[in-house]
Amino acid sequence: MTPASNEYSIEISLPSKIGYERIAIASSAALAKMGGFPAARIEDLKSAVAEACINAMQHGNQWRLEARVVVHMNLGDDRIVVSVTDQGSGVTEFPKYPGITKIIEENVSPRGLGVFIIHQLADEVRYNQTVDGGHTMTIEIRLPE
Amino acid sequence: MTQANEIVLKQIGDVTLIDIRGDITILSESYLNDAYADANNRGAGKILLKFEKAAYINSGGISVLIQLLAKTEQNNQTIGLIGLSDHFTKIFNMVGITKFAKIYKTREDALKAMS
Repeated sequence: MTPASNEYSIEISLPSKIGYERIAIASSAALAKMGGFPAARIEDLKSAVAEACINAMQHGNQWRLEARVVVHMNLGDDRIVVSVTDQGSGVTEFPKYPGITKIIEENVSPRGLGVFIIHQLADEVRYNQTVDGGHTMTIEIRLPE
Repeated sequence: MTQANEIVLKQIGDVTLIDIRGDITILSESYLNDAYADANNRGAGKILLKFEKAAYINSGGISVLIQLLAKTEQNNQTIGLIGLSDHFTKIFNMVGITKFAKIYKTREDALKAMS
């Protein structure tokens, strides 16, 4: 299947409630499968999309049900690009994952884990602020060469 | 949206098996904490956590597991993990869980190593 035009561009809108990230996971996985991504990269994509959605619901929209998380997916020739946009005036900087030793031995809060996982799994991660004050996290996962 | 875990505890020799059915998210916190408290009250020194291969695990669930590992460290308990897919084995390595708990391929491997 050769990706072309808007056929491979999908957009969904989710409420800011835990569990609804699964809609984005399933959609992005289906699109990546259509693009011939191997199973291991699809698993990476699923986890990265899950964490980006949860991050947008929690930190961006602060779990306000009426605030939406918009997920845009685009399948290209050699990559899938997923943008996750919140409507929040939430945090603009994410806490750095402190590492498990500090969490366990020094009782540090396990914050920043989701963003850490995204950066480990994605080939590229970009952040933008939207004109109405929300934030977009864009994740790019490429087909292995 | 609700999510429930079914957790079954089983004693196999000196290893307490905590068999977790379902996804591992922040919604698993009370189920896992209750199961751990139960195992701890039974005097468990060696705990084997069994996951479902197809389970969805996110950062919320991993945070719950890390907090559980903090308790097992305080109580000097040995922890093993089985049933993880290759993907979540990779993620558990990434976040450092394997510094505090060992991942085994099979239940038999785990029991042999932990007993």
